[in-house]
Amino acid sequence: MIIPLLKVTNLSKSYDNIVGCKNISMSLYPGEVLGIVGESGSGKTTLINCLSGNLEPDRGKIIFNTNNKETDFLNISESEKRKFIRTDLAFVHQNPRDGLRLNVSAGGNIGEKLMSVGYRHYGNIRSLATKWMNKVEIDKSRIDDLPITFSGGMLQRLQIAKNLITSPNVIFMDEPTGGLDVSVQARVLDLIRSLVNELNLTVIIVSHDLAVIRLLADKMIVMKNGTVIESGLSDQVLEDPQQEYTQLLVSSVLHV
Amino acid sequence: MRKTNNVIKIKDFKVDKGLPFDQEYNFAYLDENTKKMIRRAIIKALCIPGYQVPFASREMPMPYGWGTGGVQVTASCLTKRDTLKIIDQGADDTTNAVSIRNFFKKTSNIKTTEITEKATLIQTRHRIPETPLKKKQIFVYQVPIPEPLAFLEPKVSETIKMHSLSEYGAMHVKLYEDISKNGHIETAYAYPVKTNDRYIMDPSPIPKFDNPKMNNSPAIQLFGAGREQRIYAIPPYTKVKSLDFEDYPFDPFKAEHACDICGSKNTYLDEIIVDDAGNKSFICSDTDFCNKRKNK
Repeated sequence: MIIPLLKVTNLSKSYDNIVGCKNISMSLYPGEVLGIVGESGSGKTTLINCLSGNLEPDRGKIIFNTNNKETDFLNISESEKRKFIRTDLAFVHQNPRDGLRLNVSAGGNIGEKLMSVGYRHYGNIRSLATKWMNKVEIDKSRIDDLPITFSGGMLQRLQIAKNLITSPNVIFMDEPTGGLDVSVQARVLDLIRSLVNELNLTVIIVSHDLAVIRLLADKMIVMKNGTVIESGLSDQVLEDPQQEYTQLLVSSVLHV
Repeated sequence: MRKTNNVIKIKDFKVDKGLPFDQEYNFAYLDENTKKMIRRAIIKALCIPGYQVPFASREMPMPYGWGTGGVQVTASCLTKRDTLKIIDQGADDTTNAVSIRNFFKKTSNIKTTEITEKATLIQTRHRIPETPLKKKQIFVYQVPIPEPLAFLEPKVSETIKMHSLSEYGAMHVKLYEDISKNGHIETAYAYPVKTNDRYIMDPSPIPKFDNPKMNNSPAIQLFGAGREQRIYAIPPYTKVKSLDFEDYPFDPFKAEHACDICGSKNTYLDEIIVDDAGNKSFICSDTDFCNKRKNK
């Protein structure tokens, strides 16, 4: 039997009287890409923030099972939690400027995670950073340039490299193509898809763009008003939506 | 014009003749309760090497940036039996050194000296003397910015957390950037160190040439930051290691010259422009060491 990499039980988070997300249960298996869709305010971001340790949920359980070790994410000390986040999780922000240090060179940004887990050899850090620049299709001559000189798409690819370099077990992506124009979106999506296949990544991706989910996600959940209203294989949900809201969502995709 | 009785006459001003001991002040200026509070902070700092202990820094009769932190630490440690030496950039005769020395002469009537070996308490700005410090000496640093992570993380709440959880990865990012820009670690002063294998510490703006002198020193080393209200310390015989990379080891750089006055080749030198043609002279920054060597 395969043990789920992440198991969530009855997770709830509210902001005073406003429901963020309510009684969410789900599991994620190694190598899976899970899409979370829903309209603005449906609780997608609250959920992903709870799972990645950015927010403290009110109730529920989050169990990670990484490197043959079970981690009760909500019941470990802060130091263990921060260490776990550093080594096992990664978070790709919608706005790459939130996930990068803009006054530090591209190489320094990519290398930071390595240094934070104990790499102390400049040459090694540098060559790994170069390798990852190649992987995300940024010319390696730009390694000493500051991120502010990069275009939006390059910034997002840089952020992806920065996050993947330590081979995290679960990668969270919050609208990774949100602020990009369509052709750049396609390129970033293509990159994410090839990295997912090549490295067998486990990803939770939040998006309101169903095309992104169809392209990347194996499974998906649909959220509305803080609860999961439908879940399943993404092809299944998108081809044969059961819930009224999902049907509306699927039918409102523009076909050019 | 109306006449008043409040006209200040020139002869009312006291002429300052070498600053006599002024008994109107409490010994070493600070009141005893303040000294007690500062001593408590110092003891805590000595117990946790490299940890920044907050303290209620007092307004001192000198501006911030002129060593108000160091002066408060010195004032709290000073006893009547102490011999005090004050240095500024290695020299005993520069403005900051002279004014602080006069301050303590006036408020505590203790002996002062320029000779490193004779001093029991040394307050410094930006240097550690060339003469090795010894047992039973207290060495006080003036610190402008005690937080080594401040340039990377502006939130104090976050830097406190980073210290408490030893999250020091970002510290090496700065060194990485140095090497990628300049081919070597360019940071030349306030070079970060790890104290007792635990806390990353700013050694105050001493040149990195002096960093090795902090390691395993028999003297007590105290750091006072007045404006930032922090005290930290290195107890005697404590490991102090400068941060570096395996392939770019720490290098205590100095100018490739000998002192033009005393001829010393292994001391830290000041570079001085001596004429309009841009000719340079290199001399020891430690005036006491240089004088002694010259007179030998």
